[in-house]
Amino acid sequence: MNGWILAATVELGGGGAAALWGVTTGPTARRVVAQNLTTAALCPALLLLAQGYGRPAYVDLALLLALLGPVGTLVFARLLHEDLEGRRPSAWGLTYAVAGVGAAVVIALCAVTGPGRAMVKLLVIGALLIGGNLIASRALSGGFRGVLGG
Amino acid sequence: MRRRTTPRAVLLATGELLLWWGALALLWLVLISTVDTLERVVGAGVAAAGALLARAGRRAVTWR
Repeated sequence: MNGWILAATVELGGGGAAALWGVTTGPTARRVVAQNLTTAALCPALLLLAQGYGRPAYVDLALLLALLGPVGTLVFARLLHEDLEGRRPSAWGLTYAVAGVGAAVVIALCAVTGPGRAMVKLLVIGALLIGGNLIASRALSGGFRGVLGG
Repeated sequence: MRRRTTPRAVLLATGELLLWWGALALLWLVLISTVDTLERVVGAGVAAAGALLARAGRRAVTWR
């Protein structure tokens, strides 16, 4: 057990459990927001675990999650747009909080990794994670006018 | 009706494809674990295919 694994455990135990609770309970609007935030909660934990166990291959899981998570949310936004009509589900405080956690984790890992290809990969993952999440959150809250179900 | 493409259009298309190819090949080089000749060749190939797809996708969502 080192600091990285401890941080990942806290992230999984706190953020992951809260997201799971949000997805399994409450009205549809809340569930879909929690589903969107699950990616942002789990992806930094995977990055921390990769560093903690010294296995760079785990970083690829985080990359896949950062790429597919927001796409999944956009699919939900499209499929559920009749249920969500007029609700504009959003949790901007939480969204920016998890985006900040993601940024902090990526910056800490970049500082440890040092300049090189691995650092660029981390920055790509961070940009995909934060950018994708903000776009997906905006789509859920009805931010894109003129887009069906957006 | 003239179907001949102007040199300017060809130049623009080539430039866009080269830009996509460069960006995608760079992304490939960042994401792989070990850099050797085979990886470079495969990366250049899939980046070329990706550049064609990316341009087709970009044109599909641009109403012009």
